[in-house]
Amino acid sequence: MSAPSTGAMPERPSGSLVRKVAWHWRHDEKRELWIGWWTLVVFYNLYGLLFFVVTRTQPPPQPSLDPAGIVRWFDDRHHGLIYGYAIVFIVGGATAIMNATLAYSMRRMSVSRAFAYAYLVIYALATLPGMLLMGIACTVGAMRPDRDPELLSWLYDFAFLSFEGTMGVFLVGSLVWMAAVLLDRNRVFPKWFGYLNLCNALTEVVVAPAWIFKSGAFAWDGTIAWWTNMGVFVTYTAVFLTLLRRMILREDFGTGPLPDLPREGAPQASGSMEATR
Amino acid sequence: MTTAARDTAGRSRFVPGQPDMWAFVLFESLVFTVYFTVYLVHRSQDLDLYRQSQTHLDLHIGVFNTLVLLVSSGSMARCVQAARECAYRTALTNAIWTLLFGFVFFVSKVFEWTTEIERGFTFSTNEFFQFYYFLTAIHFLHLLIGFVVLAVGVRELRSPARRSQETIETCATYWHTIDYLWVLIFALLYVVR
Amino acid sequence: MSAASDKRLILAWLVLSAITISQLGLGSLDALTPNAAIASSAIVIALVKVRIIFREFMEIRHAPALLCRLTDLWVVSTGVILLGSYFLGMALSKG
Repeated sequence: MSAPSTGAMPERPSGSLVRKVAWHWRHDEKRELWIGWWTLVVFYNLYGLLFFVVTRTQPPPQPSLDPAGIVRWFDDRHHGLIYGYAIVFIVGGATAIMNATLAYSMRRMSVSRAFAYAYLVIYALATLPGMLLMGIACTVGAMRPDRDPELLSWLYDFAFLSFEGTMGVFLVGSLVWMAAVLLDRNRVFPKWFGYLNLCNALTEVVVAPAWIFKSGAFAWDGTIAWWTNMGVFVTYTAVFLTLLRRMILREDFGTGPLPDLPREGAPQASGSMEATR
Repeated sequence: MTTAARDTAGRSRFVPGQPDMWAFVLFESLVFTVYFTVYLVHRSQDLDLYRQSQTHLDLHIGVFNTLVLLVSSGSMARCVQAARECAYRTALTNAIWTLLFGFVFFVSKVFEWTTEIERGFTFSTNEFFQFYYFLTAIHFLHLLIGFVVLAVGVRELRSPARRSQETIETCATYWHTIDYLWVLIFALLYVVR
Repeated sequence: MSAASDKRLILAWLVLSAITISQLGLGSLDALTPNAAIASSAIVIALVKVRIIFREFMEIRHAPALLCRLTDLWVVSTGVILLGSYFLGMALSKG
């Protein structure tokens, strides 16, 4: 991954995965970045599994369900909600590592560090509406199935509106990253990724009508407010995971433009731009 | 990409502006196409409602808005060509005309919305008006972003130290997108029966 | 060179405006009877306009083949999707 440098970094071993991972753990300068990246990959997959399969809270149910329907909804998902969100609450802190990795990309850019700091603050706050509030509301609802149906309806509305309708943080966060990418002269990310952030930001606006409608394309489960937005979001996430990986591969720990990846088969650039840590 | 002496006879092929902006434009257009598809499918489920509601829209304002954006696109295209030939004063004038026409659209749209609301047709009146306000509002948002983009373009043109042809073309590409998206919205909301 | 391309732009704009104004006539036709002809022509005409905007205003005429084909592909597929949604929706609502 990195060429043998002026330091005493030994050759990468071939052989089993365990040996390779152990080598990276001990010798790779980019160890922390890779831990961050892998945390992102594992967490997003886990998040998908927990929300879509275990708790089955996504795709979201209809806002127009009556209290009896809502009681049945909680009933159907009783165990999934409790155990699924228990796991979410335990691993939720991983978002700190994820956000740090994304903010790192902005630190590597030529733009002011304020971008990275703003992003960190925004996304730290974002775990509340983006994950925790819905988890809390759903587990509170699932904990006592014999609760008054009106109260369960309240929890149901609170869960989904807090999750779907509070996109302001993600909107601003995407715009911060967009601005950083477009102004950056270190070529950390391609400019089209800056524009993709704008696409993602716009979807956060599109979901706002969910507060008004209980059915139709703009309700919290609507074709436009949820399905189309989810399509854009999944694309966006897959893209930034790929681009972050490329960034880490290219990282030279310098402050100038990030070098491009070498072509397949060509010798790696020498480690002349070594760590200035 | 700041060469002013580019061949405009069409012999040498070039991508107008950043390819990145084109990627964005095509992706956004795809997202809008999804919105249009959802509109058409929902429409077919309740034809009478939609047709009745459509009669409350003013076709003349719709046509006027379309013409205004077409003119603004025209002036932006002239701006790009003038800049390519280093006629920067002409380019700047055209860019400012584009901004002005954009502003006319802005005023016209606000006027149209106000009129509809005064007549009692709001976002939550019925399904047609949900789509009407949604599509026109999301387009309007793109227009507002367009003003920022045009401002970047005007800034480029004003100072001899900048004037990157690529930046100006990139701004133009974005502005034209606002125009053609509106052409489609106009057809779907105002004309399609 | 510049005068010729300028004329071309003005011509493109005139054509687009004329088409737009003709849609005034199209849209003023009896609003309440179902009319697949009006709907499909509205969509097709809109896409013709979009393609003119691509080729003349956005300078796709001078762009590399890939971009030309991409934009044409977008125009065609949008047409197919929109017309398809319209007719499919109509068919489903009657059935």
